[in-house]
Amino acid sequence: MNAIVALCHFCELHGPRTLFCTEEGGIQMSSGICTHSPAEGASTESSSPGPKKSDMCEGCRSLAVGHPGYLSHDKETSIKYVSHQHPSHPQLFSIVRQACVRSLSCEVCPGREGPIFFGDEQHGFVFSHTFFIKDSLARGFQRWYSIITIMMDRIYLINSWPFLLGKIRGIIDELQGKALKVFEAEQFGCPQRAQRMNTAFTPFLHQRNGNAARSLTSLTSDDNLWACLHTSFAWLLKACGSRLTEKLLEGAPTEDTLVQMEKLADLEEESESWDNSEAEEEKASVLPEGAEGRELTKCPTGSSSLSDCESWQPRKLSVFQSLRHMRQVLGASSFRMLAWHVLMGNQVIWKSRDTDLVLSAFEVLRTMLPVGCVRVIPYSSQYEEAYRCNFLGLSPHVQIPTHVLSSEFAVVVEVHTAAPSSLPPAGCEDDQSLSKYEFVVTSGSAVAADRVGPTILNKMEAALTNQNLSVDVVDQCLICLKEEWMNKVKVLFKFTKVDSRPKEDTQKLLSILGASEEDNVKLLKFWMTGLSKTYKSHLMSTVRSPPATEPRN
Amino acid sequence: MAPTLLQKLFNKKGSGGGGSSAAASAPGRAPKEGPAFSWSCSEFDLNEIRLIVYQDCERRGRQVLFDSKAVHNIEEVATQKTEDVPIKTSAKCCQGGSSSTSSSISSYSSSGGASQYAKEQLPKYQYTRPASDVNMLGEMMFGSVAMSYKGSTLKIHYIRSPPQLMISKVFSARMGSFCGSTNNLQDSFEYINQDPNLGKLNTNQNNLGPCRTGSNLAHSTPVDMPSRGQNEDRDSGIARSASLSSLLITPFPSPSSSTSSSSSYQRRWLRSQTTSLENGIIPRRSTDETFSLAEETCSSNPAIVRRKKIAISIIFSLCEKEEAQRDFQDFFFSHFPLFESHMNRLKSAIEKAMISCRKIAESSLRVQFYVSRLMEALGEFRGTIWNLYSVPRIAEPVWLTMMSSTLEKTQLCQRFLKEFTLLIEQVNKNQFFAALLTAVLTYHLAWVPTVMPVDHPPIKAFSEKRTSQSVNTLAKTHPYNPLWAQLGDLYGAIGSPVRLTRTVVVGKQKDLVQRILYVLTYFLRCSELQENHLTWNGNHGEGDQLLNGSNITTALEKGEVEESEYVVVTVRSEPALLPPILPATLTAEGRSPGPEGLAGTPEDKDIRDLCTQPDTEGNKSSVACSLDYQDPALGSSWKPQDVFCGEEESEKEAPGDGCSRFSSWKGLGAGLKASEEFKREMTKKLPHRSAAWPCPDRPPREKPPLEKVTFQIGSSVSPESDLESRAQKMEERLTACRQHPELAGCPLVEPRVAADAAQGQQVSRCSFLPGFRQSVCCPQNPPSEGDEGDFDRTYAEDRGFSTEAAADAAGQLNPPADSSAPDASAAGTGQRTLENTRGLHSKAGEGPLIEPVSGKCAQQDSGTSVATDVPCGDADGTADFRTEGDIPRNESSDSALGDSDDEACASATLDLGHSSDQAEGSLEVELPLPRSQSISNPNVRNFGRSLLAGYCPTYMPDLVLHGTSSDERLRQCLMADLVHTVHHPVLDEPIAEAVCIIADTDKWSVQVATSQRKVMDSTKLGQDVLVSSQVSSLLQSILQLYKLHLPADFCIMHLEDRLQELYLKSKMLSEYLRGHTRVHVKELGVVLGIESNDLPLLTAVASTHSPYVAQILL
Repeated sequence: MNAIVALCHFCELHGPRTLFCTEEGGIQMSSGICTHSPAEGASTESSSPGPKKSDMCEGCRSLAVGHPGYLSHDKETSIKYVSHQHPSHPQLFSIVRQACVRSLSCEVCPGREGPIFFGDEQHGFVFSHTFFIKDSLARGFQRWYSIITIMMDRIYLINSWPFLLGKIRGIIDELQGKALKVFEAEQFGCPQRAQRMNTAFTPFLHQRNGNAARSLTSLTSDDNLWACLHTSFAWLLKACGSRLTEKLLEGAPTEDTLVQMEKLADLEEESESWDNSEAEEEKASVLPEGAEGRELTKCPTGSSSLSDCESWQPRKLSVFQSLRHMRQVLGASSFRMLAWHVLMGNQVIWKSRDTDLVLSAFEVLRTMLPVGCVRVIPYSSQYEEAYRCNFLGLSPHVQIPTHVLSSEFAVVVEVHTAAPSSLPPAGCEDDQSLSKYEFVVTSGSAVAADRVGPTILNKMEAALTNQNLSVDVVDQCLICLKEEWMNKVKVLFKFTKVDSRPKEDTQKLLSILGASEEDNVKLLKFWMTGLSKTYKSHLMSTVRSPPATEPRN
Repeated sequence: MAPTLLQKLFNKKGSGGGGSSAAASAPGRAPKEGPAFSWSCSEFDLNEIRLIVYQDCERRGRQVLFDSKAVHNIEEVATQKTEDVPIKTSAKCCQGGSSSTSSSISSYSSSGGASQYAKEQLPKYQYTRPASDVNMLGEMMFGSVAMSYKGSTLKIHYIRSPPQLMISKVFSARMGSFCGSTNNLQDSFEYINQDPNLGKLNTNQNNLGPCRTGSNLAHSTPVDMPSRGQNEDRDSGIARSASLSSLLITPFPSPSSSTSSSSSYQRRWLRSQTTSLENGIIPRRSTDETFSLAEETCSSNPAIVRRKKIAISIIFSLCEKEEAQRDFQDFFFSHFPLFESHMNRLKSAIEKAMISCRKIAESSLRVQFYVSRLMEALGEFRGTIWNLYSVPRIAEPVWLTMMSSTLEKTQLCQRFLKEFTLLIEQVNKNQFFAALLTAVLTYHLAWVPTVMPVDHPPIKAFSEKRTSQSVNTLAKTHPYNPLWAQLGDLYGAIGSPVRLTRTVVVGKQKDLVQRILYVLTYFLRCSELQENHLTWNGNHGEGDQLLNGSNITTALEKGEVEESEYVVVTVRSEPALLPPILPATLTAEGRSPGPEGLAGTPEDKDIRDLCTQPDTEGNKSSVACSLDYQDPALGSSWKPQDVFCGEEESEKEAPGDGCSRFSSWKGLGAGLKASEEFKREMTKKLPHRSAAWPCPDRPPREKPPLEKVTFQIGSSVSPESDLESRAQKMEERLTACRQHPELAGCPLVEPRVAADAAQGQQVSRCSFLPGFRQSVCCPQNPPSEGDEGDFDRTYAEDRGFSTEAAADAAGQLNPPADSSAPDASAAGTGQRTLENTRGLHSKAGEGPLIEPVSGKCAQQDSGTSVATDVPCGDADGTADFRTEGDIPRNESSDSALGDSDDEACASATLDLGHSSDQAEGSLEVELPLPRSQSISNPNVRNFGRSLLAGYCPTYMPDLVLHGTSSDERLRQCLMADLVHTVHHPVLDEPIAEAVCIIADTDKWSVQVATSQRKVMDSTKLGQDVLVSSQVSSLLQSILQLYKLHLPADFCIMHLEDRLQELYLKSKMLSEYLRGHTRVHVKELGVVLGIESNDLPLLTAVASTHSPYVAQILL
């Protein structure tokens, strides 16, 4: 919690002293390393900010000179807690020193034992608890100590007051208890009071004879005191830092994200078991494409090579860079027809000998659909049924069944090449390469020009038409539109598939959703197939509650 | 609608319609009655809030400038218009404040007005002698020693009897250029005090010298306040605000987080950084640093500034009843930012009063004016605090309740939706409700992170959103203050620029207002807080030794147990003083690395002996080993291992050291042992490893000298020049190493090499290390290119390190008193590092190796870690280790730290990583933290529960949400409150704007008042809100769905989906704004149906994820 806990002592000979100090590890000021750690004491004393050795007596010292200090790891958080007599960094050293001095000789606590909070923006904020420790040899039979907690976040520190007070008070009680025992034992053996009475005229003897400075270890007769304090302070820091935790909710993933994750999961399973063409198709359809502007979790290593080449190739030779680009190439009306079929889930067949062209076309077109609605067979040597794919690439020689050609549920884009060369040269400019082609879009039923079409199509067209909107904006647009309509799909799904509500109600619902027109309804129905399994199963299982049970009206 | 429902929803306490007195007399509710409001306030007496103003002047000593206890209201005697005067003036003050742009709220107009006022009014207050405790209190406020710090100081004291809580702020006084009249006030008080009616006054008795010291200073050395150099002169806020602005940009490398809740995450992370000790001190606030006695900011005389301090203290008398006392304390400490904010406000009022009253010539009038102003301000303070404490809270804020309770979620959804749709349907006159919701969504932005889509794997239940893992992790690794974060959420202060928003619903129909409030608690979102009580578990594994240093009733006993001097004592209750889990190695091994701290012990000698006498070393070490590992057999295997290069080195090292820095070998013992042990273990355990050990590249020539070295202790054979030359060589090597890509790839090795090299054995070690590393480390931890940078850093660190080590060695060459056992360890640090480097490399690899062997890994843990830590010290390789090893570990270790042996073993490797950060060469003794158990329960004393209030008797300034019956007081105070909010932000960070949404159900209007714009139309409180068509369509579709009997929880899911759409649209808008400086609404409208009335909402939402949006639009 970004705090330092320290034990301070008011030494009768040397004034306020920091005895022992536990900080969160990794506190490493940007200034770099300080080679002279004050904690190292004697050997490097010359330049150390710490007290000179001559200024230290037993009472001012915790760890023996040269003791490396203590260290504890909180494995869970990888925070480590280190204890030394002084913090190792000079800046922290001075902060702690300042706090120590203030705690023991500046701030006034009523009764001298008790909690105080003080601080300012410059020196940090301090929670201090002062207390006495019994010492049969000390003046007044007691010595003065404090335990301080230093933070820069005063609000946090003040918030923690009740907690810190309780814990630190507990530590103090135990220290005092130990010391009291020692004290009593010593008094029993050699009653100081009586002795002092007798030597009343040489009161300073006690200070001079070295006993005046007894270490806390001997006052408590606990050789492990410092280890013990280290553990306690580290614990205190940990407990205080984790005393309050937040539960912060975040939004649900979008449908596209869900579906993609599901597909990835499937893919992983499949690729683990076998590797057949089926899986490859899946892969192809799952691959993330930049056009969607969505960050996917990285593909597992198995598919990465594929994705690399796919995303890389179209970029280099690519023909269609974006929907807008495609729209320009195909012309508005052809594009509209094509888009209409795409959105409705009709089969879109591209015939070309240029696989890259076809691939890029599919990459671009699929951005119009929710991920779950996209089934691609990028390039095949034979016709595939519509239930297997809604995007199908074919070589020019493949025969398409006539019922498909005449169907209103399919659209065929034939790419004729002006130049007979097999592949466009690699370095060729896109537009040049495109200009080589003619595109013929045909369908069993041509979309009437005046037909309103699904709302989303009109909006997409508007976005594509408006040159003021950058490609990124259009991408965001598509995401918005898709999510908007997927939300409608969810409601419809819930309504019709889960609750099986009557038709009239459904009609009502559709008008509420603003999707009562025929094309919109069709679109919703198709898009429903793209709902994630996760969502569907969730609705099926948990939210199902018969309307009857709901007391309404 | 059943009234019972409302009763459930709202606190009964809210029913008191009258003034605060009515609420005061309301019986305190049992704490358990509602989860939302657990402090009982009935015990709190308004008049028990006392104000003291003190002055500490070098020349004149301390003087009480005000003590509310000394003020007697003499209006009661003089039966004049008792009540309305203060009310009038308070109204006046508020109006005055609204016209002022200064930082003060209750800015009184001019001095002329003031004196006029003073003349008009009959004296209402009598100021008598301050209470007897005031001297003591002054002492507490200022401290017994003057501080040189010129900013403001905050203090909190707890006074036991009678129980009181005192919060004080000490400011440096800033006087104007005219200082002549500064003493007027004191003179006035003297005048008062000389008043025969009041008897002899004793203000001057307080004239203690500022340096009067308590008895505790008897022997004190002069109080030296370490000054902080460049920061010293900080009276001007400029430097600070500069640092602040830089801080707002990107002062720290931001953690690469792709999480969607990034704005919440970022905000919290930034908070953690700005309050971190690691980053040194980043002063954050620029206001309130001084106490202004000058009318304006006229050039202040620094000399005077230095000398005069003003302290303001608020004392809360606490109830004697323990429970009530605790209630208030809990409230106080958890809501401290609010207290502080009001205290600042009080301070401003006092400043004004002091400045104004100085201009009144006649001292009785002056005092009268001053006292009444202060009493007035205090009255406001008291009222505000009391209200804050006692106001009725909404018992079940929808969002928080949904988040925390899973039990009755369905009912909760139904209840909420019922209320919600009711409001949509019936309260939407003038689009009232849509406007209100638009405003709330626009300003209380904390809902945005809760709908941002995540890319995490699916969640169990859709209606239950998932908690943000990234924020959870952040809280653990970079602790920040969750209370603070929650407060920011509630106020919606997460956008950019930061706005702080409150919402007030005004209306005579209490029932309706309460309903609105209830529904809004779904949209006013914040995080839920949990309180965790960590307990450590006294039952440690058998292997662990629990030294009871804690339990008073149980005495420590010395015992003859093998590994320990102490008998294990189990702890029954949980003492506050945690018994350290001392590894047996430590106690037995003695003093080697750590425990010597526990008062030097005879065992140190053993170590020394070990080192000094090579012959015996084997034996001794074996003994030590047996202690350490409890596997005496190991010792015997010691010799043969020498064959391996690793071993050899260590062996050689020891002797070699003997002559050079290693003359200090005596101290080395510990490290040596450790490394040796490792080697032993290594070889033993992993014979196959040994193949890897031999270091192919070790230059043979370096070897011989080493071998020749005799093992002499304390001999200062090696001159420093030797050291230097070695160091040089080492450096050369190092540079060479760095140029070697492979080496660079292995950061682990090199730093160590550096350190080692400095010591002299560099050659062999160097060569050894790479070899080792390749064999051992690499497999585990494929060196990544990324390490290079780290390497550089570590390298640098190690440089420092090695020099230190050298220094140590040098120190030991001339054996002073240092040669005594404890010192050895000091030297030992350096040496240890060396050794460790050596041994440790092996260790790094060893971790896994060791595992099978030692039952007592825990002990090794400490011992080894000591050794390990250093070498790995800074190397990132270690970090890698850690991550590898750590992660699985974390999962299991939550409740069982240091639990199982293998875990401990794992930590042997882990430790490498952990210690890695230590730049300084010291190797701390590792003590495991006791394993912890966390008991969590919902924390009720948080802002989410306290700032969402119900129907209050009057308008209140702090509450995030509340209702009230009339806007009268609102009109009086709102502007001043907003200005105050901006100047004294409770969030401890600067805010750009304070906003209040006022929904009036009587007039069906929703207005937004802001601190930035003044409303010209006096009938209005703020600007009317545009109804976003997005919001209103959202409302309509929810209503329709509900009417179609879609289940409530599905409707809520849909609601969340729709909110997510808003978010996505804001994303689009922000993308759009990247390229445009103006929004062409039509373009957006055609495409997405965004209309101009949606823009304020969407831009506000966008500002949470794309700060540039605001900059473009502003």
